[in-house]
Amino acid sequence: MRLRNLLLQCFILATAAYLPAQAITGTIVIKRKLTRPNVTPNVSMYQRGTSVKLGRDSEQDPIAYERSRVVIYLEGVASGPRTTGDSPAPQVQQLDRRFIPDLVVVPVGSTVSFPNMDPIFHNIYSLSKPKSFDLGNYDKGQMRNVTFPKPGVVEIYCHLHPNMQATVVVTPNRWFARPDRSGQYRIADVPPGQYTLVAWHKSAGFFRKSVVIGDGHDATADFFIPLDIDPNQEARQAHDLEHNAGSR
Amino acid sequence: MKTHLRTRAFLLCFLPFAILMTTSFWMIQRFVQATVREGLHTSLRESQIAIANIHAKGDLRNSRFLRIAGENTALKAGVELLRQNPKSSDARSTVEDQLRELGEHMGFDFMLVSAPGGDPLAGVARQGSQLVPLNLSNLDGNRSGFLLLDGRTFQVASVPVDVNNENIGSLTVGEFFDFSDLSTQVVLVRNGRVIESNIPNVSSHDIEKALTPCRPQAECDLRLNGTNWISLPMESYGSGYALLSLDNVDQATRPIQAKLHKLFLQLAFASVLIALLCSLGSSTSIVNPIAAVVSHLRNAVSTGRLGEIETQRSSIVEIQELAHIYNEAAISVQAAGQRLESAYLQFVGSLANALDARDQYTAGHSRRVSELSCALATALQMPPEDVERVRIGALLHDIGKIGVSDSVLQKPGRLTDDEFDQVKQHPVIGRRILEGVQGFAEYLNAVELHHENWNGTGYPHGQRETETAIDARIIHVADAYDAMTTDRSYRQGMTHEKALSILIDNAGIQFDPEIVATFVMLPREILTGQPLVENSLQLMEEALVG
Repeated sequence: MRLRNLLLQCFILATAAYLPAQAITGTIVIKRKLTRPNVTPNVSMYQRGTSVKLGRDSEQDPIAYERSRVVIYLEGVASGPRTTGDSPAPQVQQLDRRFIPDLVVVPVGSTVSFPNMDPIFHNIYSLSKPKSFDLGNYDKGQMRNVTFPKPGVVEIYCHLHPNMQATVVVTPNRWFARPDRSGQYRIADVPPGQYTLVAWHKSAGFFRKSVVIGDGHDATADFFIPLDIDPNQEARQAHDLEHNAGSR
Repeated sequence: MKTHLRTRAFLLCFLPFAILMTTSFWMIQRFVQATVREGLHTSLRESQIAIANIHAKGDLRNSRFLRIAGENTALKAGVELLRQNPKSSDARSTVEDQLRELGEHMGFDFMLVSAPGGDPLAGVARQGSQLVPLNLSNLDGNRSGFLLLDGRTFQVASVPVDVNNENIGSLTVGEFFDFSDLSTQVVLVRNGRVIESNIPNVSSHDIEKALTPCRPQAECDLRLNGTNWISLPMESYGSGYALLSLDNVDQATRPIQAKLHKLFLQLAFASVLIALLCSLGSSTSIVNPIAAVVSHLRNAVSTGRLGEIETQRSSIVEIQELAHIYNEAAISVQAAGQRLESAYLQFVGSLANALDARDQYTAGHSRRVSELSCALATALQMPPEDVERVRIGALLHDIGKIGVSDSVLQKPGRLTDDEFDQVKQHPVIGRRILEGVQGFAEYLNAVELHHENWNGTGYPHGQRETETAIDARIIHVADAYDAMTTDRSYRQGMTHEKALSILIDNAGIQFDPEIVATFVMLPREILTGQPLVENSLQLMEEALVG
């Protein structure tokens, strides 16, 4: 069965090159805040009695912010090395004791550079499974690069500044997208076929959906994050738990 | 020095009493004050120890929190960074930044990381409202207790920073040492120098001077601005820092002392007042009987009479004895005086007798006049001592005739004017004779004035009516009667009736009418012949001696 699926996928991918590619579009629907604000005042704000502005986006629509924090990509389809290899490597700067940007999406095998823009040292490291590393202490103006050979979510921290935090999402292929602030996303140039579409949010986790790209028409997939739990399903789960407890 | 007995008795009584009272009250007050002070001392000491214990507990708790700060991984990473890049200013500012953040979160005013050897690596301290990087060069080596920085005092504590059981340095945190937080009066000293104090109105210099004789780790009494203070070491820190708790003992004892002072002052005043009254009373009780004796004696001096003192009056044995002896002395003096007087009287009486005896016709005249006068005075209801005075006065009334020559006195027939003038001198002569004799003053009137007439025609002064003493007026009547009724060489004596009628005729002219009226009413046998008392002189003698 699995073998057949694999063969089918290979077939789809093989034909995709020849078939006109279609896009996957959809909407990310988020109804409540998911991310806790992380406050890192800059140096001059270290004063007693000074009100410190909340971190980024405090003045924006928090739901729109949450939508922009979602990453959508196709799972289970390996793609070759990036075709757009000549574009510069994405950067995660250390500025004002923050990672900027703090969410980066790169296809597998990409290299991300970490330049230190602060007048102080930073020590960037990660303990995540797909890629664990420690770049050591380095000073202003220096830059270190990290290549991510495996897909996955890599959480990045600084030894010296526990408040600093960034995420690098390494996608298995080049078909990924980030929604705009209204939640609309579009993955272009997807060859026709059946895929598992994944939506990821740092706080809410992974959401998967199957999509089929037919010939000549786009696919649509909307995500509701977080999942609204079906009350019936909840009751069944409760019953099961009770049953299990009784049988023991 | 001459003082009154009253003053002396008062002083001798009062002064020791007052001095003793005042001294003992003063001593009691001192003792009570000392006791109170000691009690306060103890309670102050206890409270200071309790405060020190609370401080120690607080420090212990702080040190526990501090351990958590020492386990801060970011800080550890920072210290590692500094170790790897000891020369890098950016590394230092990285750690300074960390310290600043940590310091703000934990509310410290001073943060410092040092190498294991104690060399400072990076630090921040509060300046204004911000934690700013420290200039490490002017930092002293003290990492616990107190730390002086730019004239400010921080209370600091340190905790080691370990990585994998290896010590990579230490973290020192501190707060401004703010005395205003302390409820007690505290002085921070370092090697005898006062660094800070929260005692108002006393300069650090004065405190330093007062603390000089105190040993650093011992309780000490000192004087500050003229008041007594107690100093107790609360805590001592390294590098010669010590925190002393000071308390004003005088201020603490003042209310009680004031109360005691008032109480003792009142007691002392009351006791001195009592002493005063007692002394006054006792001196009076001593002096009054003596004063009575003295006044009695003074009275005796002025009257010339030594009367007896009523000894029952005084309850004091000595005074009674004094009075008794005085009385005995008075009696013996009186007896001596009376003996003297009677000797005089005898002498005078015999003089009068001798005078009377010069002339056979006038023999017994003085005696008779005396008897008549005595009867008259008694009839006039004169008091007995006056009657006695009249009797003796009458006996002496013609004593002055000693100075009149016999030729004139015994001349038969009428006297010439010259002769009569001589006779007229006899009252004055008599007065002169008796004047010189002490104790005869009261008879002078009788002797001098017994020839004064009621209408002022008599001699020697020509006194009228009652100007003349009653003694003289009585004797005048008696003398005239006896002269008229006795025989003379040149005539026969008149009859009793004739003499009386002449007296009555001359009443109001020559004689006091009242006395004449009394005289005529006297019983006939008294006037004629029969003497009332057979031997009056002898009787008189007996009376005087007895």
